[in-house]
Parts: sequence; structure tokens; C-alpha cells
Amino acid sequence: MSEVIQRDTMLSYITGSVESSAESVAIRAINERGREDLENTPFPTRKDEDWRFVDLKSITKSQFCKLEEANAADVGDISDHYLPEAMNCRLVFVNGVYSEELSSVEDLPNNVIVGNLAANADNNSVKEHLGTITNYDDDVFAPFNDAAFTDGAFIYVPEETVVRTPIHILNVFTDAEKAFYATPRLLYVGEMFSKSTIIEEHIGLADNQYLNVPVTEFKMFTGSNVHHARIQRDSKKASHISRPIAILDKNAEYHSYTICLGAKLFRNDPRVIQNAEEVNFTVDGLVLIDGDQIADTHSIMDHRFAHAGSHQLHKVVVNDNAHSVFNGKIFVAKDAQKIDSFQENRNLLLSENGKVNTKPQLEIFADDVLCSHGATIGQLQDEEVFYLQSRGLTEQKSRELLVYAFALESVESMEVESVEKLLLNEVIEYTNRDEK
Amino acid sequence: MLEIKNLHAKVEGEDIEILKGVNLKVNAGEIHAIMGPNGSGKSTLSKVVSGHPEYEVTEGEILFNGEDITELDADERAHLGLFLAFQYPVEVPGITNKTLLREAYNTIARANDREELDPIEFEDYITEKLDVIEMKDEFLSRSINTGFSGGEKKKNEIFQMAVLNPVLSFLDETDSGLDIDALKVVSDGVNKIANDKNAIVMITHYQRLLNYIKPDYVHVMMAGKLIKSGGFELAEELEANGYDALEKELVLNGEAQ
Ligand SMILES: Nc1ncnc2c1ncn2[C@@H]1O[C@H](COP(=O)(O)OP(=O)(O)OP(=O)(O)O)[C@@H](O)[C@H]1O
Ligand SMILES: [Mg+2]
Repeated sequence: MSEVIQRDTMLSYITGSVESSAESVAIRAINERGREDLENTPFPTRKDEDWRFVDLKSITKSQFCKLEEANAADVGDISDHYLPEAMNCRLVFVNGVYSEELSSVEDLPNNVIVGNLAANADNNSVKEHLGTITNYDDDVFAPFNDAAFTDGAFIYVPEETVVRTPIHILNVFTDAEKAFYATPRLLYVGEMFSKSTIIEEHIGLADNQYLNVPVTEFKMFTGSNVHHARIQRDSKKASHISRPIAILDKNAEYHSYTICLGAKLFRNDPRVIQNAEEVNFTVDGLVLIDGDQIADTHSIMDHRFAHAGSHQLHKVVVNDNAHSVFNGKIFVAKDAQKIDSFQENRNLLLSENGKVNTKPQLEIFADDVLCSHGATIGQLQDEEVFYLQSRGLTEQKSRELLVYAFALESVESMEVESVEKLLLNEVIEYTNRDEK
Repeated sequence: MLEIKNLHAKVEGEDIEILKGVNLKVNAGEIHAIMGPNGSGKSTLSKVVSGHPEYEVTEGEILFNGEDITELDADERAHLGLFLAFQYPVEVPGITNKTLLREAYNTIARANDREELDPIEFEDYITEKLDVIEMKDEFLSRSINTGFSGGEKKKNEIFQMAVLNPVLSFLDETDSGLDIDALKVVSDGVNKIANDKNAIVMITHYQRLLNYIKPDYVHVMMAGKLIKSGGFELAEELEANGYDALEKELVLNGEAQ
């Protein structure tokens, strides 16, 4: 490099410093490491390939304070957001802080743990895995979470155990006088042949500005299986920068479905790392954005051993001036033969000013692999609209049904009925919003 | 019921005139057939009457029960009782037949101050209608026309017609792509729907359809106009001599321009 440019760090933009107030030694050690990483990693700019399309001004221009300084409003009654299927299997975090009062965990199978990290800091699995799975080089956001988090969610499913109730991790954000940051954290440890369904939700209760930087870590032992739905309904002024990562041992299955509805800026970097042969995983997404929203997904499906089946369907609907970015990396290491990987990015543009950037990025070093990828950008077909309209449906209803149909496939993979219903309502609301 | 007067239409935003002065009158209880060579404007006529935004009426009018409907949107025309069975039914993945038809049925009912049907009532109602064209009920839960064979798509159009019970239907080449058994089923279906209060305009290239659904009038369309009208014998004449002979005859008589 010919020129060294001194760039500001994440910390200088946010608060100047992040003091560790964690009680647990294990968490404090991760805080320490995060702070070091932060000090050594410059804040990204548009010159960085991975940030080409995203204007981070909304972060760099605002000062985000600690929650304690934000004068945040009380949470109030949020029972509308509870899932009937997970009534007794719910962890609630308000502005990133665990709420024992609003959480409810009962009737779990023997030895299953669904609780907060701080209370389980001495658990062997926490000590062993917390902070060891995240793997984001040159990143400032995962380290920021590392540096700042003091608590989070911890889910532990023992060997041969199936949790039939979906586990609801509900992150709500309240109104506040000042823009604050939050660093939700989730550690999931699935022992051999365990199985569960996780619904991770982020909901902005008001219309305020905040910075939500969650990190989720999934450690999947041999034969374990997880269905991980992530629903992002942050405030339309919030920035949400996610770092969800999973590492899979032999025969493990990890299926993730990220739904993006909220936030002004959403950046999601899901990564699935194969740690042994014969795994199966899904990194699906559904993005519905309008106004000035930006949703940027940079995913990595990292095949390091033979015999993996992986699947990625990323569906996007863009209206108004919204902008979607998709960069889907598929890595296949040299000896990782017999990989069957499928990637598809389908975009539906509802407005003239909406923007879509899509880029598949395949780096394949093995020769006996089956990798397919494709991207389409389309509009609603006039012929389809006319067909429905000629049957008596209004133009608005026709468009709504067509968008609904486009999104349906992704919604149906939620597997939890109330979540599917909720999302279908969101889809209808989304399509009705442009009836101005 | 329907009166089309000197209708001219062109492709919206372009200088391509397709309909060049169509006149047609359809009364309740009548069945009409429109025949004509490829590209003469038959489908365009049916789309213009149903309100396709791709076409612009530049002259003339379309009166439906005395009301000029040229400015109405397609759905408003459907609410009045117009129906178009498409020559090329559109595939709509992700929306089931049932969803579409319930929405359509209830929207039309609402527009006409008739009672809507709740899901259970509607289920009974359409299941009954399946018999009209001998369709299995799995048809209802399939996405609209998606992966249907050519014949199934055409049957589905007639099924929709049976469910929505329109006042005036344009059937655009519903017979094309049907084998003889399917043709009989579809024709039977149309005959069951036809009564003295509604009317049907069939567009076809073949006399064989007219053997099953007897038209009261046959019209010939050429170059954007209905150039000759008559009874069933006109279809027979066309089948025997073709359009060229008809055109020559008209030129000889000084009727064509
Ligand atoms: N949107 C359009 N843009 C340009 N030309 C069009 C458009 N729609 C129709 N046409 C032209 O208008 C003419 C009439 O088309 P139309 O589909 O009405 O014919 P048709 O009589 O139904 O023919 P066929 O028997 O083949 O179905 C054709 O030359 C066609 O190419
Ligand atoms: Mg035609």
C-alpha cells in the first residue's frame, strides 16, 4: 500500500469509549478483546468494497450514547408482541437489557437452558463458546458488540433433546430522548442430535433513532438441528447492523430465515461455516423496504468439507427510493467435494426510483461441486395485474396480491403459525402503504 | 345490452391503430361469434371492451346497458358484469384459484350491494361450480394457471366464468388447444351458463366450436373492422372458402374500402 490513511474508529463516532461493566470475568475478557479490535480497526468508508453502496453517515453523524444516558421511556405493555406458541418460552430484552419480569420460561425439557448470559456466565458451555464463534475480520461492528455487551440470551439444548415449543427472543426498543446504542447478544449451543426452533425478533416500539448491533452465535454439534427465524422490525429511523454466525459439525442442520421490514439502515452479514462433513444449511432472506430504507445483505456460505447441501433464497421487494444490496458469497474449499449449493436472489421493483444491487460471488476451489446461482430483477407484470383486475379486483388489491404471492414462499418457511400470520399482515400493510 | 359504435382504438402512447371503426350490438340472451384471420384485431376488441390499459379508445363509444364505459377501469367493468376469457390466460404463481375467485366474487358482490359469502359458504358455492366443467377440487388450491396444460387453462377460464356469473362474456379462442373431449366439456359448460339474461361473444377460428355452441350471429373481422355479419351459414361459408374469397366478394360488391 502506498498510502496509509488514518481513519477514525468506531469508538470515536459513538461515544469515545466503551467501559466494561460486566460482572462476569468471561464477558469482561471478551469486552477487552473487542475494545482492542476496535482501536485497531478503522471505521469503514465507501471505498471499502464491502461498503460500496451503504452510506454510513447516519451512524457517523449521530452520537449514540449509552442507554443509561438516553432517558429511555418505559416499555409499557408489550404483550401484543408475545407469540401464543411461545407463551412460556420467551426472553425479553428492553433496549438490550434483560427483563426478567417480562420473560417467561417454563416447562422446558430437562436440562434445557433458556436464560440470560449474565446469570449463566459460569456455565461451561458459555465459558467455552461465548465469543469464540464470531469471525468477522476487519469488522468494527462485531467487535463493538464484543466490547460493549454485558448480558444477552443463552440457549442450551442437551444431547438428544428436542424443544418442541418455539423459543422467542424478543428484543424491543423504546422511545428515548437521546439516540442510544444497544448490543444484543445470543449464544446458542446445540449438543449432539438436539433440535429447536428460535424466533429472534427486533421491534422498535416508537419512531426514534437508535443503533442496534446484535451478534448471534450458534454452535451446532453433530447432528443438531436449528430453525432460526430472525424478524427485524426496528424503528424506521434505527440502524441495525447484524452479525449472525453459525458453525456446524457433522450432520448438523442450520436453517435461518431473515425477514427485514424495519430500520432505515439494515446491514446483515450472516455467515455459516462448515466445521465437518455432511451438513445442511439455509440462509434465506425476505426484504420488504420502502421510503428511504437501505437493506444490505452480505452473506457467506463457507463450505470447508465435503458433502454439504446449502440453500439461499433471498427475496426483495423495493418501493419508493429504497435500496437493496445483496452480496452472496459461496466459498468452497479445495477438498470440499460433493457440495450442492443453490443461491437465488429475486428482486421485485415497485417504483422507478427504487434501487437494487445484486452480486453473487462464487469462489470454488474444488472440482466436484454443484453450485447454481441466479439473480432476477423484475416489476409486477402488467398482464398479471390486468388479469386480476379483469376479474373484479381493484388495481391496488391486484398489486397487493401479487406482492403477497411473491413474499409468500419465504413467509411460509417460518413454521410458526402466529409468526406467519404476523408477517402476512406486514406484507399487506407494506403493499397498502403506497396507496397515497 | 352491449352497443359498440364506430370504435377506434390504438396502442397507448404509440401510433398503431388496431381497431378502425367497429360496430356491434349484443342483446340479452344472444350468442355471437367473431371470426377473422390472425392479427385482424379480435383479441384487441375483447381487451378494449374489458378495459385493458394498454389500449386507448380514440373514437366511438362502448355502451353497456346504456352507460358509456370507455372511461371505466377493468375492475369497474367487471363489477358491471363484463367478463373476458383470455386467449392466453396469465399464470400467477403464489395465488390460488380459490383466493382469486373469492376475492373477485365478493368484490363484485359488494359493488352490487349483494351479500358476500364467507369462506365456508364460498367453499360450497365453488365446489358446486366445479361440476360445470368437470374439474377436480384440487384445481382450487393450485396457483392460478401455473403449470396448467393449455386445455386446463382454457377450462379454468370457463370455470371462473361459471363462478362469477357475468352478464356479458367475451370468450377469446377458448376452443384453441382443446381436444375433442375437452371441447365438449367446455361447450357443455358454456351452454349451462348461457341463459336469456346474459350474452356471450365467442372469438374463434373454427366452425367446430360453433357446432357445440350455436351462435345467433356470426361476424367477420378483418383489418380492425367487422366487415360482414350473418347467421351460422356465414361460418360454414368461411370454413369452405376462406377469408380471401370473402374479401374478394366484398371488394366486388364495393363494400370494402
Ligand atoms: N400492444 C400492442 N403493441 C403493438 N401491436 C399490437 C399490440 N396489441 C396488438 N397489436 C397488433 O394488433 C394486431 C391485432 O392483434 P390481435 O391480438 O387483436 O389479433 P387477433 O385477431 O386476436 O389475432 P389472432 O387470431 O392471432 O389471435 C396485430 O397485428 C398485433 O400485432
Ligand atoms: Mg387473438
